[in-house]
Amino acid sequence: MQPAPNTDALDQQFKEFIQALKGAVSSALPHLKDDPKIVDKAIGDCKEILDVVMEGNVKEWLS
Amino acid sequence: MFTDKIELKDFEKTDPEYQDLLKRVLAIQADCEIGGPNLYVKDILPNAPTKLDQLIVARTAAEEMDHFRKMAKLAGDVGVDVSYTLSRPNQERYVEAFRGQITTWEDFAVFGFLVDRVGRFQLEEFIDCTYLPLARVVEDPDIIREEEGHVDFGTNCAAEFAAKGGEFKERVQKAVDFWYVKGLDMFGNSKSYRSERYMHWGLKRRPNAVARQQYKDEIDALILKMGLTLPDPDKGRLYT
Repeated sequence: MQPAPNTDALDQQFKEFIQALKGAVSSALPHLKDDPKIVDKAIGDCKEILDVVMEGNVKEWLS
Repeated sequence: MFTDKIELKDFEKTDPEYQDLLKRVLAIQADCEIGGPNLYVKDILPNAPTKLDQLIVARTAAEEMDHFRKMAKLAGDVGVDVSYTLSRPNQERYVEAFRGQITTWEDFAVFGFLVDRVGRFQLEEFIDCTYLPLARVVEDPDIIREEEGHVDFGTNCAAEFAAKGGEFKERVQKAVDFWYVKGLDMFGNSKSYRSERYMHWGLKRRPNAVARQQYKDEIDALILKMGLTLPDPDKGRLYT
């Protein structure tokens, strides 16, 4: 069976997006009460990553 | 009734109808998984009520993206490139519930309560299915546990809104009225020939009508427990 083009590359790219997002969330959760700067930075990072994902420019990601 | 268990290496030897149905359901499932974040990230991530809520929105999107990734990999392995689902406009999504935009917190909550719950039902359809790579994905406890987490968060938020009464209760009722019929429609046509074929090939477990009724029983009890009014189940429906 011939896989679709870029199947593994897309899978890898998504693993990186997901890891980055989950990492940002995990880094912020313990600091909700004591360090708003860390939390704001993490939320900003999540927004930046998700903006890229929602744009869905697969060709650019995999180039 | 087909009961063989199929691995990827055997996929090409299966009946063309089996191949078509599996490819179709994987593409739809991938589209739905990424369709959720595309509905709510833009407006809800920046405007969620608290920073904790913003982080929960981001984590929810990450988990849905991971579900997309798993479905996209299964589809890609059988030759179906679903990357088009990442850039298509919401209005072109396979399932009607994913064709709009979520702009309010109560809609985000009720989306979790009602539509993510359909997502859980749909994933459960594939448990012990004849295509083993798909069965393995949904039998991994992570995917169902994460979907249940989204459902529980949405259900709790909706219940909190309802418990506040007044304007809050009216707003959540309006959201329930909107998403209720969309959730019921997500199970498809009760007399669907394709639904029967999915069951014949061991790719799904329940007829559309049975799954829809089980879902309806579950949500009706919860809506009444929240002190909300049950919407008319036939008003605005696309499929019955």
